[in-house]
Parts: sequence; structure tokens; C-alpha cells
Amino acid sequence: MSGLDLPAKPDRFRPGAAIGQALSRYGIVIAFFALCAALSLLNPYFLTPLNIINVLRQASINGILAIGQTFVILTGGIDLSVGSLLAVCGILGASLVTGANPGNPLVAVALGVGAGLGLGMVNGALVARLRVPPFVATLGMLSVARGLTFIANDGMPVPRLSPGFLTLGQGFIAGVPIPVVLFGATALLAWAVLRFTTYGRYVYATGGNERSARTSGVGTRKIIFSVYAISGALAGLSGMVLAARTTSALPQAGLSYELDAIAAVVIGGTSLAGGVGSVVGTLFGALIIAVINNGLDLMGVSSYYQQVIKGAIIVLAVLLDTSRRGRD
Amino acid sequence: MIQRRTLLTATAATLAMPAIARAQAGKSFKIGAAVYGLKAEFMQLWVGAIKAHPAVRSGQAAITVFDGQYDALTQSNQFDSMITQRFDAIIFVPIDAQAGADAVRKAKAANILVVGSNTRVVGNELTSFIGSDDVKAGMMEADAVVKAMGGKGNVVVIEGPIGQSAEIDRGRGNREVLAANPGVKVLEHKTANWSRAEAQSLMENWLTAHPGQIGGVIGQNDEMALGALQAIKAAGMDPKKIPLAGIDGVSDAILAVKAGEMVSILQDANGQAQGALDIALRRLAGEGYKPMSEVWNEYASQMPWGGGTATEYSVPWTPVTAGNADALLAKRQKG
Repeated sequence: MSGLDLPAKPDRFRPGAAIGQALSRYGIVIAFFALCAALSLLNPYFLTPLNIINVLRQASINGILAIGQTFVILTGGIDLSVGSLLAVCGILGASLVTGANPGNPLVAVALGVGAGLGLGMVNGALVARLRVPPFVATLGMLSVARGLTFIANDGMPVPRLSPGFLTLGQGFIAGVPIPVVLFGATALLAWAVLRFTTYGRYVYATGGNERSARTSGVGTRKIIFSVYAISGALAGLSGMVLAARTTSALPQAGLSYELDAIAAVVIGGTSLAGGVGSVVGTLFGALIIAVINNGLDLMGVSSYYQQVIKGAIIVLAVLLDTSRRGRD
Repeated sequence: MIQRRTLLTATAATLAMPAIARAQAGKSFKIGAAVYGLKAEFMQLWVGAIKAHPAVRSGQAAITVFDGQYDALTQSNQFDSMITQRFDAIIFVPIDAQAGADAVRKAKAANILVVGSNTRVVGNELTSFIGSDDVKAGMMEADAVVKAMGGKGNVVVIEGPIGQSAEIDRGRGNREVLAANPGVKVLEHKTANWSRAEAQSLMENWLTAHPGQIGGVIGQNDEMALGALQAIKAAGMDPKKIPLAGIDGVSDAILAVKAGEMVSILQDANGQAQGALDIALRRLAGEGYKPMSEVWNEYASQMPWGGGTATEYSVPWTPVTAGNADALLAKRQKG
């Protein structure tokens, strides 16, 4: 612990206390670039354009889920159902773009996102209106939605998706893969909403102290309801992207994806207690997870070690962050 | 009134029909199908096939399917409830070979016969086992890739979840062929847990780490091979130039085979499921029982019925080819 604290200490005595502040604020960003620098020294292919595209694409599905999760965790809640919602939305949406007469891909995406929104609103109603603890409500939804996924298509995948739809997972816009564009756009929008709108301030206020937020006139129940709806809709979106990336909507897709999404949020410095955190942090959290997986694959590290290393880095990142926050 | 009477007579007649059929066969047998989990296409096909067995359709056997949810304890609990409900026989697809053996012992102690299908249990308590030899499939797929590479170059192997019996056996088959072909070097091998999405990322990363060096891909199942195929395509390479193989014959893989993009080896869910039911019914109904499933005609020479009392039946693997792809898919649609 004390060893980890050392690098930050000299900052406190420097005249520019702002640098210290910046370091604690952007610790996750610095950690990300340090990790990238280390990997680029260890492996000559890490910094090639192709690999950078791969990392971004591999980060995008978890990243979109994690952005939704950020809203939920900022209010002090948690959404365990996102992996299952991703699967059920993938199956529902993809069923419109399969077979001899595939429908419009945009309608399919709208259906997938809409289904996620609807199921997310169920989560929201359970938590905000009926006061079911978020962990319980979304754990229930995790199971219900996974069951619905198997019911929807008798447990079979939805294959042979139309080429127009597959573009969503495999196409490029100006050289950037479309999943990455969607990830980036979602992140930008979420960042702007949380930072510049009244709604965003209410999300932070609700998570910081729900009672005092309510006393000062914030409709906290509405806010809580809305964050689960957002998380559901984004799970729907990532379900459509995943189906398009793997060319089939698979009923077993997204198993335990909620854990990687929560890990990205937590690595990104958002407090599980609510009220503290940012989308920028989550963005880098998702990137760090993707870079770890990618880097260890590139170096041919056995999957046994890979799991150990990944887990250790998650805990280490949070440890660094909490120890820094504790001192502030 | 007249109408009602005719209706009643008609109802009585239809009700009497299965009763007669049952009387001829003795009774309707209550059979449990305890499968390890229903989350992947193969087990779905297996369940669909057993429900389509002629004996189930005619009412001679009543099948109850138990979803083991990939958990040995769940399966063990399901055995308890089948024993309590006095099932006549259990068809068992265990998640774990060791834990499964214990469940089989419990059923045997309660005088319920257990026929294994698809995956094995250790020991010899099973009445009979019907499945396909994974070592053989591992050899067949590795052989196809090595041959297509002309016996030299680098391959990568995408493995199943480490320690699962299919992964162990298919891996053994892979290694046997690779050892016999010293010209082919294994560049990388790693698990992608039977998952398409995971294999896709893994292959993307390998293609980056070894540009232009990967000459072939051995996927221990079709899902992972399909993930690798997507990665190859996304990297702008021609999949026809990189031999790629998978096992199981899932629908997407059959389509890819048809497009000339990969090799797949079909594991016959129909043969394993329907065959198992015939074996169980033979034991229950006695010597006079004639197997009803088509599979015994289909594999008459490679898997002879032989009175139905053999302790082991090996369902042959069928390489999927451009020639039989359409027929295989049509058969699936019907089921």
C-alpha cells in the first residue's frame, strides 16, 4: 500500500498543487497510458493501427454496457441484468433481419433498443416505485430476461442476418469501425448529459444523498427510474452490435457481461456508493479491460494467468484510486 | 342430441386408441432425459430429436426433459426427484464425469436404469452408453486442416473450456495428428470457452501478433471456428486461403462450409438422442422390442443394433461437405 502511495507524495509539496489534483483526478487516464506504453515496449504489434482498431472494437460492446451502468451506479444502484437484456434484445431485433425477406436494419435496431428500454423500465419501476433493492430487482431480471431469450426462439440462434444489418457490427465510417463510432457517440452524449444538463446534476445529487436531494426538490424516484431505462436501452443497443459482429444472435450471448461492465465502471473511479464518478472514467475503464485482454493475447500468456492478472489489475486500480481519494 | 352422442362415441374411440397401443406394448414408459444444459444449439437439437422419436409420438414413452443448467449439483437433485417419482428409465447427459457417476449409482440403487448419451461418466454403472468419440473428431478436424495446408506451416488451436471432457478428448485427437506432422507448428493455443465472441477477439489478436504467419486454424467446436472466421474476414483476408475447422455441425457452420469457408464435422444429435431412447426401451420392453428410430438404418453398418444390449454404441461423425449441406439443413428444419 505505502509503496503505491509513494509517487503521489512529492506532488503535495510542489507549489503547483493543481498537478497533484490533476493526477488524482486523471489517475485512471495515466494508468491507461502507462499500461499502453508498457505493452508497446513488450510487443511490437501493440501500437499498430490494426491492433488499435481491434482493441477499440473489442472494448465497444462492454463499453456501451458500462456507460449505461455508470448512470445506474452514480445513483447508488446496480444493474445486474445487462448481459441478459443484451441477449434477449439481440434475439428479438435480429429476428426481423433474417430469412428470405429481411426487414430494414434500422427498424431491427429500434426494436432491440426499444425492448431493452422497456425491460429497463421494468427494472426502474421495481426499484423506484416498489422499492425493491436494485441488486434484487435486477438479479430477478437477469434470470427472467435470460429465460425469455430461450423462449423467444426455442433456445436456437437467429442466423443468416441480412448484410445491411451486419454492417452495424462489421462496417466502417471514415476508417473507424461502426461499433467504435457507436461507443464513442454514446460516451460523448452521456458525458454531455451528465456534465451540462440539470438532469445530469440530479443524477449525481440522487446518488450523493437521496434524502437531501429530494428535500431540495429533485424528483429522485423519476431519476432512479430513468437510469435503469437508459441502462436497458444501451444493453439493447450493444445486443444488436454483438449480433451483427458475430453474424448471429445467440441466446447464450452476453453471459456474465454484467461483471465486465461493472468492472469498467469501478476501474473508472465511479463509487459503488453513488454520487461520485464520470463517463470519462468508465470509457478508460472499458479500454483498460480491453487492452489487458488484447495485450495478454498478443504476448501469448496462458489463459490461466490471464484471469489472475485481470482480476489483480481490477483490484489494484481501485485500490490506487481509493487510497488517493482517502488522502484528499 | 344425436350430434352429442356421435361426439361422445368419437371421443371414446380416440381415447381407446392409445390405450390399445399401450396394452400391446405393455404400458407407457416414464422416461427422464437429464441433460447438462439447454443453452447451446447442440442440446436443443438433441432434445428436439428425442421428442420426435416414434415411440414418444405414439405415446409408448413419455419424456420429461430436465435442464441441468451446467451444474453437477442441479443434475444430482434432478436424479433425486426422478427417483422419488419412480421413473422407469433415465437418459443421462452429464455435465461432469465424476459427479455424474454418483448420480448413476443412486438411480441404480433404486432399480432405475440409466442410459448415457453424448457425454460420459466414469465407471461402469451405466446400462449402456451412446455417443461419439471426441478423440476421433479431434483427429478428423486436425487432419483436414493439416492436409489442406500441405503438411507444413503454422496453426493456431482454439480450445474448449480447460478440463471439460470434450476439450480433453478433442485436444488429444488434435495433438495426435499434429505430432505425426512435424512440418506443422502450433503457433498459439488458448481457450475461448466454446464462445464465438471470445474466439473472435482472440483470433483478431493472434492475427495481429503473427501477421501473415497463421496458415491454419483448428477450432475445437464450430462456434469458436465461426468466431475465428469472422476475425479472418474482418482483417481483410481470404478465408478460403486459411484452412479452418470446427466440430459439431451447427447451422451457421454448415452454411459456412457450403460457402467453402471452413470444414465442420457433424456430431449427430439425432442419432445420440433417438438411439439412447431405443436402447432404454429395449431394456424396459424386453427382447421383442424392435428399434423404431431411423438412425439404426442410417448407420446399419457402422453402428449395428445387435439386439440392443451392447454396453457401448458409437455414433459415427459425418464430415459436412458442400454436397450434403443442404440435406443436413433441411433435415434440421423438419425436426
